[in-house]
Amino acid sequence: MNLLECKSLKVGYGCEKPALIECANFDLAAGEVVALMGENGCGKSTLLKTLAGFIEPLSGQALLNVDGVSFKNVRELGLRQVARNLALVRMSNVAPARFTVREFVGLGRMPYSGFLDGRSADDERIVESAMSLLDVLHFAERPVAELSDGERSRVYLAEAVAQQVRVLLLDEPNAFLDIPRSHALFNMLRNLAESKGMGIIVSTHSMEYAEKYCHRIMVVDDGNVRVGRAHEAREMGLFDWTERK
Amino acid sequence: MRTTGGGRPLIMVVLALLLLVLCTLTLVLGPANVSVSQVFDSIVKTGSDEAVSRIVWGLRIPRMAAALLAGMALSVSGLALQTVFRNPLCGPFVLGISSGASLGVAVAMLAGFGFGCLGVLGSATVGALVVTLAVMWLASRFERNSVLLVAGLLIGYFIDALVSVLVAQSDAESLRVYVAWGMGSFCRLVLDDIWLFFGAVVVGLAFVVCSMRYLNTALMGDDFARGLGVPVRCSKRFVLLGSSLLAAACTAFCGPVAFVGIATPHLAFMLFKTTNCRVLVPGAALCGANLCLVAGLFPVSIPLNALLSVVGVPVILFVISRSAGRGNL
Repeated sequence: MNLLECKSLKVGYGCEKPALIECANFDLAAGEVVALMGENGCGKSTLLKTLAGFIEPLSGQALLNVDGVSFKNVRELGLRQVARNLALVRMSNVAPARFTVREFVGLGRMPYSGFLDGRSADDERIVESAMSLLDVLHFAERPVAELSDGERSRVYLAEAVAQQVRVLLLDEPNAFLDIPRSHALFNMLRNLAESKGMGIIVSTHSMEYAEKYCHRIMVVDDGNVRVGRAHEAREMGLFDWTERK
Repeated sequence: MRTTGGGRPLIMVVLALLLLVLCTLTLVLGPANVSVSQVFDSIVKTGSDEAVSRIVWGLRIPRMAAALLAGMALSVSGLALQTVFRNPLCGPFVLGISSGASLGVAVAMLAGFGFGCLGVLGSATVGALVVTLAVMWLASRFERNSVLLVAGLLIGYFIDALVSVLVAQSDAESLRVYVAWGMGSFCRLVLDDIWLFFGAVVVGLAFVVCSMRYLNTALMGDDFARGLGVPVRCSKRFVLLGSSLLAAACTAFCGPVAFVGIATPHLAFMLFKTTNCRVLVPGAALCGANLCLVAGLFPVSIPLNALLSVVGVPVILFVISRSAGRGNL
């Protein structure tokens, strides 16, 4: 089942500047992890923001499967409805000084909360199980700002899990992680996709993790988007851009 | 966001009880010797001792209401501003919003636009809103916290200069009224205006409270809040409108009151140890009301702002030393 579809999506900031991505066509299926690769400044983050509905596409559509049957344009859905289906996680986000891990993961229930942002017993159970899934329960009362990069990346993922989204977009989650923690992170992404039926797009600069842990690889090269199975990526020439300079 | 310690409701109850005690003390204590039973009689019974009744209704109840409302208004305004600007040193006074309200009051009092009390409140609100808009514009241009604070101070100076020009042009009588107002005091509210002050505070609080979901995510930045389904632009306007109105109402009826807005959110955080505004908004309101009631108990001869500075400055220095250690400033 597809969770997300892009139809001739043209991505960029405003009409005056040249578009970063001319035409992207792809779908994201439930249970798969897709690596998003490309040079710095090629439009990876912009593509993710467009998929999340933060930026309006220059043309074309980003469609989100909200009920298992029909696809709706992300820009036309209500903010809450998007937030219940899709999360864009940016590990580079500053961790505020006072949030504890439990409070931060609890933010994931915000798309379901009422006018005064209350939490039900159900919400608390979901937060608890998200924290135990990502193994952050034992430091639940510590401030997020004091955690190591590896711990923090798990907390950010736990927040998205508590949000109960189907589509997870990650912007360079392993930028600050060492090798063992990067392996652990990608392992976790693969587990999340398979156990929760999530569709995950993760932007990364690491070919190794992309080939080892992701089902498919999507490359943004000079305004074009190409997608291929991870084990066929080299034969398809998806990595040619890496040695061009 | 589960409360980790079960102590939060208890702290809230203790603060509320303290509030009751302080309210009673405010009604009972004063230069004139009035007993508790006399105060009680004059509130519930008609036709009781007229002198006592005049003291209670004319002086003490307005003073209590002023301290109570000003404390709540300034604390919630400060908490909202600190959250929206993601800066622990924000407050209506620091950002120049109170100065904007003062300019509004000065225009109403000195330049002869006297529309009665509604006019003073209205022009204070307009002044506060104009400064809030200017600060928002500055905040969107400069990411750095310290720039915003310096800009807020500069706006404050600029407005004080404008007020000085107005003062130089005005006649002696309105000048006397304005200078007395500029001292900041809880003793100036009159019985008939309590409802107006109360109404303004309720409306301001409602604006802030109905953006609770935004307040709880604002610390993580606007994109993050939007990603959680919060209508950021609209909520931000509501919060800033509400906090301007709160600061303006307080400035119009009590004069410029320093340090409550910036210090009490930190006191509330120290007590409740949470970032959840569902707890912090009532918590800060209670802390602020208690603080102002205590300050109001001191003899009128001691300036209110001096009293509040004695409490406020150590708290702010503590916050600065902690924040600077984390590299947040």
